[in-house]
Amino acid sequence: MDMAFIIETVVKIVVILLVFSALAGFGTYFERKVLAFMQRRLGPMHVGPYGLLQIAADGIKLFTKEDIIPQNVVKPIFQIAPVITAATAFMAAAAIPFMPSFTIGDYTVHPIVADINIGILYILGVMGAGLYGPLLGGLASANKWSLISTARAAAIFISYEVITGLSILAPLMMVGSLSLIDFNTYQAGGIGNWIVWSQPVAFILFVIAGFAETGRTPFHLVANDHEIIDGFGTEYSGMRWGLFFIGEYANMFFISFVTAILFLGGYGDGSLLGALGLLLKVSFLFFFFLWTRAAWPDVRPDQLMWLCWKVLMPIAVINIVITGIVMMV
Amino acid sequence: MEQHITITIDGREIQTQEGEFILNAARANGIFIPAICYLTRCSPTLACRICLVEADGKQVYACNAKAKAGMNVVTTTENILTERRAIMEVYDVNHPLECGVCDQSGECELQNYTLEIGVDSQSYSIKDTHKPAQDWGLIHYDPALCIVCERCVTVCKDMIGDAALKTVARGSDAIHGEYKANMPKDAYAMWNKLNKSLIGPSEGDVLDCTNCGECTAVCPVGALVSSDFQYRSNAWELRSIPATCAHCSAGCQLMYDVKHTSISNSDEMIYRVKNEWNYVSLCGAGRYGFDFENRVAGKDEAAFASALKAFKKADTIRFTSTITNEEALILRELKRLHGYKLINPEAKALQDFLGAYGTVSGQKLYRGDLKKVHESDFVVSIGSALKTDNPNARFAMNNAITMNKGAGLYFHPMSDPVIDGMSKNVLSIVHAPLMEEAALYLMLDLFAPKAQLPKAIADYLAGFHSTKTVTIEESVKEDVIEKVMVKKLNEATGVEEEVEEEKKKSVTKKVSKEVEVDENALLKLLSAPENFKESLDKLLAKKERFSLMVGPDLYTHPNSKNLARLCALVEKHTPFELVMIPSLSNSLGVALICPLDDAAGSYAIGYNTQGDFILSALGSGDLDMPSLNQQEGTLTSIDKRVNPTNAALAYHGYELNDIANALGLNAHYTIDYTPRLGEVEGYLALSFDALPNHFTNSGEEVRGYLLESLTCKAEGEEVAPIRLEAMEGPMLYLANPVLHFSPFTNAAHQLKSSGALYASDAFMQRYGVQEGDTVQITTPHGTLRVAVARDGKIEGEIPYLPTFDTNLNSEALFNGYRFSTASFQKV
Amino acid sequence: MHTHDTHEQHGHGESELGNRYISEHYYYVDIAPYPTTPWGKFSRALKRTLRGELFVGLWVVLREMFKFDIHTVQYPKEKLLVGPRYRAVHAMQRLFESGTERCIGCGLCEKICISNCIRMETRLDEKSRKEVSEYTINLGRCIFCGYCAEVCPELAIVHGPRYENVSEQRAHYIDYAGMLTPIDMAISGEQKEFDGFGAVTPHEDARVKQTPLAY
Repeated sequence: MDMAFIIETVVKIVVILLVFSALAGFGTYFERKVLAFMQRRLGPMHVGPYGLLQIAADGIKLFTKEDIIPQNVVKPIFQIAPVITAATAFMAAAAIPFMPSFTIGDYTVHPIVADINIGILYILGVMGAGLYGPLLGGLASANKWSLISTARAAAIFISYEVITGLSILAPLMMVGSLSLIDFNTYQAGGIGNWIVWSQPVAFILFVIAGFAETGRTPFHLVANDHEIIDGFGTEYSGMRWGLFFIGEYANMFFISFVTAILFLGGYGDGSLLGALGLLLKVSFLFFFFLWTRAAWPDVRPDQLMWLCWKVLMPIAVINIVITGIVMMV
Repeated sequence: MEQHITITIDGREIQTQEGEFILNAARANGIFIPAICYLTRCSPTLACRICLVEADGKQVYACNAKAKAGMNVVTTTENILTERRAIMEVYDVNHPLECGVCDQSGECELQNYTLEIGVDSQSYSIKDTHKPAQDWGLIHYDPALCIVCERCVTVCKDMIGDAALKTVARGSDAIHGEYKANMPKDAYAMWNKLNKSLIGPSEGDVLDCTNCGECTAVCPVGALVSSDFQYRSNAWELRSIPATCAHCSAGCQLMYDVKHTSISNSDEMIYRVKNEWNYVSLCGAGRYGFDFENRVAGKDEAAFASALKAFKKADTIRFTSTITNEEALILRELKRLHGYKLINPEAKALQDFLGAYGTVSGQKLYRGDLKKVHESDFVVSIGSALKTDNPNARFAMNNAITMNKGAGLYFHPMSDPVIDGMSKNVLSIVHAPLMEEAALYLMLDLFAPKAQLPKAIADYLAGFHSTKTVTIEESVKEDVIEKVMVKKLNEATGVEEEVEEEKKKSVTKKVSKEVEVDENALLKLLSAPENFKESLDKLLAKKERFSLMVGPDLYTHPNSKNLARLCALVEKHTPFELVMIPSLSNSLGVALICPLDDAAGSYAIGYNTQGDFILSALGSGDLDMPSLNQQEGTLTSIDKRVNPTNAALAYHGYELNDIANALGLNAHYTIDYTPRLGEVEGYLALSFDALPNHFTNSGEEVRGYLLESLTCKAEGEEVAPIRLEAMEGPMLYLANPVLHFSPFTNAAHQLKSSGALYASDAFMQRYGVQEGDTVQITTPHGTLRVAVARDGKIEGEIPYLPTFDTNLNSEALFNGYRFSTASFQKV
Repeated sequence: MHTHDTHEQHGHGESELGNRYISEHYYYVDIAPYPTTPWGKFSRALKRTLRGELFVGLWVVLREMFKFDIHTVQYPKEKLLVGPRYRAVHAMQRLFESGTERCIGCGLCEKICISNCIRMETRLDEKSRKEVSEYTINLGRCIFCGYCAEVCPELAIVHGPRYENVSEQRAHYIDYAGMLTPIDMAISGEQKEFDGFGAVTPHEDARVKQTPLAY
């Protein structure tokens, strides 16, 4: 391993960490603004011009707020749980090709931290591990609301892992590789080559599963304020609670990236236009998260499970079978 | 004498007595007749005319029309309602709608009757006059609010006896002519009178009286109010706590009105005192001396510990009679357990006096009470500075003489213009001190049938009599008839008119005559006036109910036992009902409950008095005690009534009960001793909460209970003859000025003053001293330097020293008896 | 879906709704029987999913976003007008021109206060008038019912327009001096006459019986 590679990797890690953290921050600002506009409000306006520095204010607040650890919690687990959520969200980003390679001077930079050939498996694995954040946090909190939230989280995340996996299986069969770069390359031909056209069912299933995995409306059941306070986050305060928050938003961006790369052509042919296109696609997907939150109600936990096992999973399996048959033929 | 009759009011048959006013009969039976100017126990004023009723078809005023058997009274007719409405409208003319700041704050009879009658519009008007408010010291008069009901004038004359108020000219415009023709007659007559008068002092510009403040109590509106209370609080903010006055033996029922002290201080304080003025009259000490409480922050454990140490060491408890019966019982129990000597000279004197009285009468307690004095028509007072020893006894005497066409005798070495001013039918006998025996012998001589008396006494009395011939001028009356012009109220028009009338007039002619008269040496002993016999005959005419009040001068007299036996003889053989005036609030209770001792031991606890270790409700001792307005308990009054009193204010420190509990007794509250009073002869075993404290509509006193009459063994009727010589030369008396009884009255902020030698103008002239000068007083028992203060309410040359000021050790100048020879030296 | 066209149907609907009074315009939404067969359930889910309501919702909020018809009042910079009958923190009025305190210390506000939060101290002043020496309202207890302003015979205590209940000290609200209109404002006429709860109504004169006066 040469020095340049190490430096490059470290730089890329730092950049991703910073970018995703910043995105999480801007994500909150963006969400508040979008929701406000959709509800005929203005959203944050006071801190900085148009409330732009609200993120900074929130950051300062979260960093400086007292980190309260209640008396009856299981202290080490309670402390580590938010870290798991945030860390897995960032770790998953390691396998994402954000842009095509480019050169600085004569050095070629690959804007991906780790171009592993089983990127998708890695992503699914890390996302699965992220489940432990809410799970452990809720169990350790010694709070009934947290416990309910944990039960829901375990049920939902495990169930929807199935949908996620099955829905990607059909595109995987088409591409024949687990590398996200290969996926990108597969669709590089233009809009017509996007997998979403050939696998619309898989796309829809994947997006639905993405909502469930990130716990966003209409599947915002793990931390449904009006039922169970803040769910697993109820007992958390200060930066520990902030880590859960960052994790959630980082996950949203991450899912948006993955969806864009898997189904919507990624960065296309590697040109600047393609790179901008990726950003646009990601932005739209992120916006879509907020949009649904403004428009749709939540479903009940039992409806969610019913949807998963009795509707989505059969459809996903059928989709794989059909894909297989089509490929065979 | 008084017969029960039946009358009908508004179709209801009610029982009453012949001669009772219709208004009182109605009130006693819960029938409402409006009345503003009438005061129970006083004479009808006829100022308001609103008590108009129809009796047997004729309109009369319920307050002065007497009930006759079978009378049929109707309280409302159309005409009566019209009159009442017009009367209330007249009262509301120019009565400023300053209800916002008026101190009556809703306790206003004008407001009540205006609403009751339903006055919702005004038909009359007259130009208002400028009437500036007047400040009369403790009393504040706002003529602008006055409706001239004259209740103040009436109560001052008929009840209190100061007659310090009268109606004065208002100086307003005449009522517009057209009203005379159109207005209801009674309303016009009432307005006509109202429009001419206001209230003012009888003499001078400023009220000169004994400051009882009863006028402020009876005022139906906010015209007469207490200067201290003025604009301090609305009546509705105050919580009334029924209690018994703690200052003298009259045991008047009163209400302490309490409220939080200020915005920032939620501790309650007493703002004023109220009384049921129809049935109880308070003196100034009771009305203004209310804030004598002892405020302590909390329990002073160190002081309590040293108190217990002192009690272990002590063999004597000295105390005064400003304690409750329960505390007296605790002291008695402590004596039983620990053998303390109980020293209370003033109560001991009464105890001994009652004991000696019982040896003749066979009764442990006198027969009369102040209610009987109120009802009597001939009242005699011996041995008491009535006005200050017990103002209520004075009110009773005045009320009896004024209302019952009565008369009275007042035996006292100090001449009192207030007593003389009650009526011309009061004869004051200013005798020399120590001559009280002569006064009682005179009573026997004048009123006891000689045949009934033991022979020795009859003979002794006969020895005072001799006959002599004197030339007298006798008046012979002749009747002549004259024609005179008199002013008379025309009933029809309500206007005064001059009418010519024939009048019988008696003309007196004087004729000289020689007669044999009986000369009574007792009268000489008493330095009675020359014409005593004649005057007395006049005073005694048509008298039926007799009362005798004796006071503390007798209990402290060197021959008090003999005096007591004489009193018993008077009560036994004459028609007089005897009342003894206890010197202090609960002297009678202490005398009945505590076994008192004569001689003190070596180490004494002082309770509100001197001692080696002092428990004090005045806040000046070694351990604080609650004062009587911070205690629950009972007090025994002059009327032989055990009256409950409630704690008006909280007390956070230790009480006598705490000490008693530490010394082997056991009671959670002091009032746990109330039922145990039943162990004392005469008292009942009733719990404190079972004792009522109120008056009924008919004026019945429902308070506590009356002591049961107690009999003891009579030992014969022998009394000793008069052996003492009259005290001569300059003398000094031990008494308190008006408004003071004890250091507790002096703790009240309105009454606080420093003690002085109170002297009449005659004394000051003789010794050439001015108010404020210091004199040195020397008696056979000690000397004292003290400032001189003028007392305009005494005459003669005997000044007096007070006991209310703890800085003056007045008692040291006396040897028990309230008089002492003394010399005065201006310093 | 309006099903209550006929009288019978109306009666039927009423009984189904438990005999309560129900407006004629009420109608049932989606009252198809609950599917029992798996296929029935599946088709119902499918129908619901594809009915398009989800997308209508998305459209509505998107439309509003682009319309940008914002209703927010930016509070510290912009303030809503407070109606005259709004009952905010109390104020004590003065008389115009003279600037004398209107409060005569009658104590009616203290009496009528149903949460017992008013206390006042009064005394005789040197002009022999009743003077309010201290007045306080415990705003922690006050329920802003407005009885005190309504009962005040002098229009002295009123509800001010000050609804921003933030201060460094509670005492800033409750001392008499703080409640009183500054005297220069009263004299210069800047004090606004209270128009709300307990104020004089426009036709008061007509409703009052006149008392005859002799001058």
